[in-house]
Amino acid sequence: MKLELGYIDIRGIRFGDHNAVEEGILVVNPEPLLKPVLEDPLIKTAHFEIAAPGESIRITPVKDVIEPRVKVEGKGGVFPGMVSKVDTVGSGKTNVLRGMAVVTAGPIVGFQEGIIDMTGVGADYTPFSQLHNLVLVMEPVEGFVQREYEKAARLAGLRTAAAIGELARNLTPDETVVYETPTIAETFSEELKNLPRVGYVMMLQSQGLLHDTYVYGVDAKRTLSTLIGATEVMDGAIVSGNCVSACDKNTTYHHQNNPVIHDLLAVHGQSINFVGVIITNENVYLDDKIRSSDWTAKMAQYLSLDAAIVSQEGFGNPDTDLIMNCTKLEKQGIRTVIITDEYAGQDGRSQSLADADALANAVVTGGNANELIILPRMDRVIGTLGYVDKIAGGHAGSLQPDGSIQAELQVITGATNEMGFNRLSAR
Amino acid sequence: MISGSFRLKTLSGERETLHTGSFQIVTNNPLVADSLSGRYRVCFLKNGSDREVMVKVRDLIHRRHRLLTAPLSGSVKPWETPYRSIMVSSDPCSAVDATSLDLIERAMEVINRSHNYLKTTKPSIDHDFQIVDLSLIESALPSAEAIGRI
Repeated sequence: MKLELGYIDIRGIRFGDHNAVEEGILVVNPEPLLKPVLEDPLIKTAHFEIAAPGESIRITPVKDVIEPRVKVEGKGGVFPGMVSKVDTVGSGKTNVLRGMAVVTAGPIVGFQEGIIDMTGVGADYTPFSQLHNLVLVMEPVEGFVQREYEKAARLAGLRTAAAIGELARNLTPDETVVYETPTIAETFSEELKNLPRVGYVMMLQSQGLLHDTYVYGVDAKRTLSTLIGATEVMDGAIVSGNCVSACDKNTTYHHQNNPVIHDLLAVHGQSINFVGVIITNENVYLDDKIRSSDWTAKMAQYLSLDAAIVSQEGFGNPDTDLIMNCTKLEKQGIRTVIITDEYAGQDGRSQSLADADALANAVVTGGNANELIILPRMDRVIGTLGYVDKIAGGHAGSLQPDGSIQAELQVITGATNEMGFNRLSAR
Repeated sequence: MISGSFRLKTLSGERETLHTGSFQIVTNNPLVADSLSGRYRVCFLKNGSDREVMVKVRDLIHRRHRLLTAPLSGSVKPWETPYRSIMVSSDPCSAVDATSLDLIERAMEVINRSHNYLKTTKPSIDHDFQIVDLSLIESALPSAEAIGRI
C-alpha cells in the first residue's frame, strides 16, 4: 500500500463569515458546522472555542482529539465505517491539516476526565498544548442515556473533523511524505531479507461504555486479532470511543499519528524489515483475552517475525492482555518490547503494573500516572471545572480556591500515552 | 441455556438469584443486581466493598470455581469507583484453577494498595459509576453466552 500525505501547516484559527483555510489560517464560521451537530436530538447545546499554544487556557473535560484529514485520491473517505462508507483506505492521497486538532469537550459521565492546559506546567505534559485547537463543547439533553450520548458526541467530533478536513481538499501541501508498506512477498526480497523482521502489535481498549475503540466502524471487542495496513491507520480506520483514563488512552489523533508506525516506517529497509501491524483487543472476558493473545502470537509466527513491539492502552485489566501478548510472543522466540505506563503510587515505589512476567524484560514506560502535580490557575476555562474534583486522578479538594489544581498526572490528556506519543520517559 | 430462577434472602444480607446458566456474577453494584438478576445468576453483596467482592470471588475460586472475567475490569481506577462486578463459573471444576487464583490475588494486591490513595468518589456521580460497571460486565455477556458450559 502506498499513501501520500500532504501536510498543510495551520498557524492559527479565527472565526469568520465563511469556512476556509487561507494562508495557513483556518477560518471558522460556526453556524454551518454546528448545524449537523445540533440536529442530533441528544445534543442540547454545541459551540466552538479556539485555543492557541501559549494562551492561558484550560480545556476540560476532553473527550477526543482528532486531526482533520481529507481523502484527495484513492479509495474511501476518512474515518471509514464511521462517517464515510466502508471501503479500504490507506492508498492514494490524503491531505492533513497539520498543527491543529478538533477537540471534543463536555460532560458524559460525572467522573469524566481529561485536561489540556495550553501553557504552564500542564502544557509540558501534553502534546496537544502545541496545537491550534478548535474545541467543540457539547452538552447533552436532560435525562440522556450515556451509551447513546457517547456515540452522539463521538460522531459529532468525527463529522466536524471531516468537514474541516474537506476545506483542505484543493490546497497545495506545504510538505508531502510518501508512506509505502510492503506485501509479504516483498518482505522476502533481496534488499530486505537480511534485516530483522519486526512487527507492531497494537492493543485496542475494548471493554464497554467509555472504554471502546472502533475499526472500520466495528466495535473492537467483537473482533479477533487481525492484520491492518499501517497506512490504513493514518486514514482514520481506527477511531477512539474511549473517555476513561485521559493520560493513557489513545485518542483518534494518536491513531492517525501513531508514532510507533511512523518510526518503524522511517527505518524500514535500513535497520529493520517492518513486516506489518497486528491489532488486538482488550476484553473483559478472560477467554477472549486468551484467544486474542493466542491469535496475536499465531499471526506473528505466521509472519515469521524476529521481533515485535507491543503498545498497550489503559490500565489494570489491559495489563493482563499485555503480559499475555508479550509472553506468548517471547515463547515463540520473538523478541518483544512492550510500551506501557506506570501506576507506581505517588512516591513511585509500588509495583507499576497489575500483572508481570519474567519474559517481559524489555519495557518502555510512558511515565508514572500517579505522580502528583500542581497546575496553575488559567485565565480562561473551556468546558467546565465542575468535573475536576471527580475525574481520574483528581480528588476532593483538588481544585484549590486560587484556581490551581492539585492532581495526579493521569488527569492530563495524553500525558503517559502508551504509544510513546508524549514527552515523558525514564531509564 | 437459562431457565427458571428464584431468589433467596440470606441472613448475611446477600441476595442470590439461582439460575441454571454456566456462570454467575458477583457484584456490589445495585444496578447490576437490578438489571441482570432476572436473566442471570447474580450474587449481590449489598453495601459490600470492592474488596469484599474480590474476597467472595477468591473464596469461590478456592472452591474450584473458575474466574471468567478480569477482576480489574476497566480503566476506571479502583481508588475511584466503589463498584465491582466479576463473573465466575456456576459449577466447580475438578481442581482449583491456578490461573484464576493468580489473577484474583494480583488484583487484590492492587486493591489493597489503592486504599492508600486519595478518594474521588462523590454521591453525585455514584450512579455513573454504577452504569459504567454495568456496561463492563455486560460486555462479557455475549462471549459468556456463546461459549456456554466448559
